[in-house]
Amino acid sequence: MKADVPAVKVAHVGVTFGTRVALNDVDLRVDPGEFVALTGPNGSGKTTLLRTLLGFQEPDEGTVELFGSSVESLSVRERARRVAWVPQSEPQRDDVPLVQYVLYGRYPFHGPLDRDTERDREVAMRILEEVGLADRASDGILSISGGERQRAILARALAQETPLLLLDEPTTHLDIGHQLDLLSRVRTLAREGRVTVIAALHDLNLAARYADRIVVLSRGRRVADGGPREVLSEDLLARVWGVDADLAVDTRSGLPYLLPRRLVVENPPASGSLALGPVHVVGGGGAAAPLLRLLVDEGLRVTAGALHLLDTDAETAESLGVVAAVEGPFAPLSPETRARHRVLLGEAKAIVVAPFAVGPSNLANLEDLRAFVSRTPTIVIDAPADRSLDFTGGAATAAREALRAAGATFVADSTAALRAVQSVLSPPTRGPGTVGAPPQG
Amino acid sequence: MRSRLTAVSRRRRGLLAVGLLGGGLVLVFLSTLIGLPDIAPRLGFQILVHQLSGGRLFPASCAGTGVAPGDCSKYTFIVWDLYLPEVLLALIVGASLGLAGGALQGVFRNPLADPFLLGISSGGTLGAAILYVYRIGEANAELFLPLFAFVGAISTGLVILAVARGRYGSVETLLLTGVALANLLSAVLSLVLLYNPIGSEQVTFWLLGGLQLADWEVDGLAFGSVLVFGTVLCLYGRELNLLQLGSDVAQSAGVDAPQVRLRVLLLSSLVTAVAVAFTGIIGFVGLVSPHIVRRLFGSDYRIVLPGAAVFGALFLLSASDISYLAFPGSLLPLGIFTAFAGVPFFLYLLYRQRRSTTMGGG
Repeated sequence: MKADVPAVKVAHVGVTFGTRVALNDVDLRVDPGEFVALTGPNGSGKTTLLRTLLGFQEPDEGTVELFGSSVESLSVRERARRVAWVPQSEPQRDDVPLVQYVLYGRYPFHGPLDRDTERDREVAMRILEEVGLADRASDGILSISGGERQRAILARALAQETPLLLLDEPTTHLDIGHQLDLLSRVRTLAREGRVTVIAALHDLNLAARYADRIVVLSRGRRVADGGPREVLSEDLLARVWGVDADLAVDTRSGLPYLLPRRLVVENPPASGSLALGPVHVVGGGGAAAPLLRLLVDEGLRVTAGALHLLDTDAETAESLGVVAAVEGPFAPLSPETRARHRVLLGEAKAIVVAPFAVGPSNLANLEDLRAFVSRTPTIVIDAPADRSLDFTGGAATAAREALRAAGATFVADSTAALRAVQSVLSPPTRGPGTVGAPPQG
Repeated sequence: MRSRLTAVSRRRRGLLAVGLLGGGLVLVFLSTLIGLPDIAPRLGFQILVHQLSGGRLFPASCAGTGVAPGDCSKYTFIVWDLYLPEVLLALIVGASLGLAGGALQGVFRNPLADPFLLGISSGGTLGAAILYVYRIGEANAELFLPLFAFVGAISTGLVILAVARGRYGSVETLLLTGVALANLLSAVLSLVLLYNPIGSEQVTFWLLGGLQLADWEVDGLAFGSVLVFGTVLCLYGRELNLLQLGSDVAQSAGVDAPQVRLRVLLLSSLVTAVAVAFTGIIGFVGLVSPHIVRRLFGSDYRIVLPGAAVFGALFLLSASDISYLAFPGSLLPLGIFTAFAGVPFFLYLLYRQRRSTTMGGG
């Protein structure tokens, strides 16, 4: 690979889904060894741009080149030897040993009759070592934690030994410690000159901390591109995210960081969609936080309840500007709070029930819900199979079953819930495709 | 499904595999001897060895068994030309159904997929029925029958693929589509039979499933086609492994997901069609076998596919043995016995799946 051949060259790329413009005349050049963070609000085109680079999405206009060859001209296998992909999460059904899972990444090196070679195993073990999972190599992938799972996905992608690595919101499901851990591992790889990295990242502070360069997309256009110090500004935040934020400089690293204060516009709608809703989320104890974020990010109007002050869900709701019925910490739900909650339930166009732990203090949440199930489309996220959420000695389980009997839809996770909400809210002509990503098969 | 599976060590798995294959061979041998009560095991054994060794061992195959020399050729015919082909056909058909089930479960990322439950077998039957009822190409039935069964099976497979790839490809939708298709096909079949009573006897045989057609020629044809298509199908293990992680991930790792799905579905339909053409509809072999393999040997499709073939073969042979042992002399449809074992298993899987995950798109 000659040094002057860019790893990625995107020229005048446009992508349209129906009437929605996902990417509009985007140019991007990434040189080998760079760590570029791709950022922007939801629906700004980050995922679509990544999918275009992977060849999943053919651009309607413009050209995409990887290391000097057009993506379209490469076979699926050739592509897989140039660019690897780390998705937000992966469905895992089969409990395969970690090392075997990483060996899946060696696929592009094999013909149909080949077995895994000694070298494949060496590569897999070295990479597991690098992501800190060597001692878990023979454990089943379903038995490791979420943070470890994400590192395993990274390892699977690295096993492709590609010069380019794309990450799509790799830290979304991770806590802060695992976020830092994952991104610093990726940065190390880039610093060592082994891979060029393009990562879609929501979190601007993470982007500023780890990336050499930040590219900001807004409504399908590239609106800013440069080092963290040049790109991040209060003005940009207000313009692109609709957020009023203070910009400060970290004295230790000299890097800028942002302290969001409040929304300039309430729930800025994702491009092309009006704020639909309200969608009411019933949760507690942090079980609803990811869902709240997901729904708000999709530009929906969201309400929540009945939550306890100081718990993660209540704090998340507050930070997202979500109206919520809130009770004092650890107290049983009072008649007043329940009444406020019922008002929110009554206004909702759709109701989503998070997989929250139910004890005597919040059992009323499920009971109050019952009257609304027949009137309002209600989506219940299934409890995780491996632990019970019922701390009421069976009353909560019975209440959940009553919801099922009353016609509530049960889904597996937040993403499925979002899809269900979208299909409830959007008129049939619009199609419920996730903003920024075409419907997947 | 915690890491219990991975706890079975490589060596133990090796031993297990050797044990199973050894046990399987014994089962095959014994199965050939089940049936007529007056054939002593020793006689059957001698006849088999005589035939297999080309007459070098036990040159007088009936010696010392009390069978009159004049009857020896009769017994040789029964063991060698009636029973053994039936046993072998059970193995071949069981293997193809197990393999097809494993491959379909991989393509649809759904542990409840099975050629019978998805209606692919019914499609094959309809194809075969059309051939018989309308007497198309009857002179070359052994060639046209698999062809018609295949066209029926593959068309059904394609409809299901189209449904599964749409936005509504959940477990429930998939199975209901299969059930709906199977019902539609059987309605069409009834209609065809109602207006064309000629040939309906043969068709009834397909609806119930059985090994009666077995002879050396049928076995050879079935074995040849299953060997070819099945071997090719087994080469898709790596691709199926990656497809379990979703089309996008598979694609990013170099698997041409739409192509692979189509090819595996076509091959599975082909293999199913071979089974349907010669033995009619036999359900649940494809459902049960891959699960047993996954339990014992892990979820690697490079092992699941050939393993499901082996288990499918042994499963169907056992079902056939049980039918002969339980109801000696009567020719009960085999599908009855596989259903007795398969339906409870199916319900158990359905129950477990409802509790854990639902299959979404991408």
